[in-house]
Amino acid sequence: MSGTAPGLDGLLLTSAAEDHGKSGFHHRHTCAPESLLAIARAFDAAGYFLEMMTAEDRRADLDKMRLVYTWNRFGPVDRHLLQCDLEVGASAPSVVAATAAADWMEREVYDMYGVTFDGHPDLKRILLPDDSDFHALLKDFGRMEDAEGASGNGHGEDA
Amino acid sequence: MLEEIRDEGAATGERYVLNMGPQHPSMHGVLRLRLELIGEEIQEAEAVIGYAHRAHEKMAENRTWPMFLPNTSRVDYLSGMIYNLAYCQAVEKMLEIEVPERAEYIRIIAGELNRISSHLLWLGTYVMDIGGLTPFLYAWDDREQVLNILERITGSRLTYSYGRFGGLTMDVDDVFIKQTQVFLERMKGRLVEYDKLVRQNVIFIKRSEGVGIIDAETCRRYGVTGPNLRAAGVAYDVRKDEPYGIYDRFDFEVPTLTTADSLARYDIRIREIEESLKIVGQALRDLPEGPIMPDKPKKKFKPAAGETYFAVEAARGHFGMYLVSDGSETPFKIKLRTPSFSNLAAMPEVLRKTMVADIIAIVGSIDIVLPEIDR
Amino acid sequence: MPETVTQMVDSPALAILIGIAGVMGALTFNALFLVWLERKASAWIQRRMGPTEVGPFGVLQTIADMLKLLSKQLITPKHIDKPLYHIAPVLVFVPVVAATSLFPFDEHIALSNLDIGLVLVFAFGGLGIVGIFMAGWGSNNKYALLGAMRSVAQNISYEIPLILSALSVVLMVNTMGGPETNGMNLAQVAQMQHDKGYWFVLVQPVAALIYFIAALAETNRAPFDIPEAESELIAGFHTEYSGMRFALFFFAEYANMFIVAMVATVLFFGGWSGPVLPGPAWFFIKTYGIVFAMMWIRWTFPRLRFDQLMSFCWMILIPLSILNLLVTAFIARAV
Repeated sequence: MSGTAPGLDGLLLTSAAEDHGKSGFHHRHTCAPESLLAIARAFDAAGYFLEMMTAEDRRADLDKMRLVYTWNRFGPVDRHLLQCDLEVGASAPSVVAATAAADWMEREVYDMYGVTFDGHPDLKRILLPDDSDFHALLKDFGRMEDAEGASGNGHGEDA
Repeated sequence: MLEEIRDEGAATGERYVLNMGPQHPSMHGVLRLRLELIGEEIQEAEAVIGYAHRAHEKMAENRTWPMFLPNTSRVDYLSGMIYNLAYCQAVEKMLEIEVPERAEYIRIIAGELNRISSHLLWLGTYVMDIGGLTPFLYAWDDREQVLNILERITGSRLTYSYGRFGGLTMDVDDVFIKQTQVFLERMKGRLVEYDKLVRQNVIFIKRSEGVGIIDAETCRRYGVTGPNLRAAGVAYDVRKDEPYGIYDRFDFEVPTLTTADSLARYDIRIREIEESLKIVGQALRDLPEGPIMPDKPKKKFKPAAGETYFAVEAARGHFGMYLVSDGSETPFKIKLRTPSFSNLAAMPEVLRKTMVADIIAIVGSIDIVLPEIDR
Repeated sequence: MPETVTQMVDSPALAILIGIAGVMGALTFNALFLVWLERKASAWIQRRMGPTEVGPFGVLQTIADMLKLLSKQLITPKHIDKPLYHIAPVLVFVPVVAATSLFPFDEHIALSNLDIGLVLVFAFGGLGIVGIFMAGWGSNNKYALLGAMRSVAQNISYEIPLILSALSVVLMVNTMGGPETNGMNLAQVAQMQHDKGYWFVLVQPVAALIYFIAALAETNRAPFDIPEAESELIAGFHTEYSGMRFALFFFAEYANMFIVAMVATVLFFGGWSGPVLPGPAWFFIKTYGIVFAMMWIRWTFPRLRFDQLMSFCWMILIPLSILNLLVTAFIARAV
């Protein structure tokens, strides 16, 4: 299933070729949240699959939440890294409409980072218990240094 | 169980909810399927996961890069060696560490042996899922040989921590080579035996043929990889398409079939065992002398800030590691892209309109490891 | 003709007591032995050891297990249908005991010698299904209910080829033996094979095969163990039963195997007839040989799917058994 190059014109903020041997990516893009769905549709139309999706808690340095997508195809390999910075507390458009793989991946990002996705068919927790009151991969949750003393959240490892 | 039930069947009481798992004899660990049935036919299936979540990604952010090494094999305890070595290779890529030749070859041997053991375990459990109790112990017996070989060189039987950044913990000796050769020889006969005992059995064929078809397009939409994808006719194998380590030096094939059913997935895995045996044989033949660690191994390091992606072909498909460094001793983020997560995600769609008995055959045939999904 | 216990003992009450004690003793011993045999046979097939610790070759292991089951707490789930739940194990168990008392173990020994023996055996066999369904329904568990539904559908379907194949033998016996023979009488069937000097499996191979397959399904044995398919339905209809209640189901299952094997012995393998050894010895050797074959199959084959099982019965077994019956009737008429 060799896809053609996706038509991403006008959808990206920045775009650059990468040295696959060094970083593992062939392309690196950034985009605005509004164009996420259009980009996903473009990749899907070109025969790519959503290889991975996750987020990064960039509140400390950028004051943003960063969504990370990698798109790839089943040979010849062509990995696109797509980064999308999101205002803290803002929700992102869901790309489930473009690719079914995003269903569980967006649920995981919601579960771990608290980012909500507009248009997701069934956005709920996936790995953590349904009644959890925290998002585990946020940097201010469960740090080792918090575990010493009575920091309060009670989820740190015992010292 | 008095959850709200949708659709027309609810009015007549025909439609009901059946919870399969997390404690069920054939739910492979702790998978829970919430099924809506009419009779024994599935109307809706929902996979509920997370029962084995151990927060490996969170742990990664709380320790230094080397301290995460033992975690890796615990993500997928059935192909732990592949995961462990993948992490080493990912960090080596990030830091641009050279690996000695001998260590590269031993990594190939250990990884492929681990793949064989994982496929053998799958073979046994799959046949057991559809009611054949005996092949399980035969496969277990073969797998035991692999575990014994790996135990001797690594010190562990399941959750290996054999790799180090730049090489390996321990070298192999002549006994290891002898044992591995004996195993290769033994497996040739055993594969014929499995063919006769399992593959040619009429009931086995009837239970597997045409069951649980996951076509190439569905695979792409969900990101299904590994033997499941190759059974649908797509020759995507990270070892070939994005060669890592020294896989580009070996002569092996990527078997594909087009029927995309449970039977095809069985055949693909058996042929992959054959290919792995071939690779191990070639690696043993070419195994060079030399060191297994670089002269000055890096023990403490601060990788430059940035992102690295590294993919390997694990026993169940494309395993990717997304490493983010912020320039400190501790990873800023490690994302584990595990194959079973995507493979299982396709299940609700595949299971629709099948029978209860088929669930077991289908879920069994895609070879999921729950701790790998839950991480 | 075998003498029955009633004829040997003066008092009918005493005869009944002796009969019950004999059957219960034989069935208990049989279940213990078969469980041990199954473990050893499966271990042998799977290159394991099986039980080795309790007694020589682990023969006493099953006795220890039975004591364990006897002493276990009986766990009763909530929200069950109490009468059904409690009666079910008994209802599964009793017909098995009754059916066992109908067999001629020898030329001279039988607990009862009835002219409708064969019909009664199948009738008692059919009664057990009611118990199974009550267990599944009464347990208030979806897996148990699914198992029970499967069990009922399966047993009712497979009774047809089972009886039709037996009927072929009955027809043949009636024709060959003249007006005063009765093919429904198990003792007479065995006696006739003894007199003729050959086993009916030789003249009725198709019936024997159909009977054997249908018997596997009737006793819920692999590859037809769908009602209690452990990888799908956990334990099927007896999921919610523990301790001695579970033991009764277990007991009945092995006794059922024993019964269908005894019927096969009488109908197709000459019953007690055989050289040198005494009649009962031959009878049990043949019966346990058939039981062993059933075990062998269980530990070799995977399990059919439910719809495949049903279509196999209705599309293949039933037409074939009807055809066999017609051919038998035709030949019997011609000869």
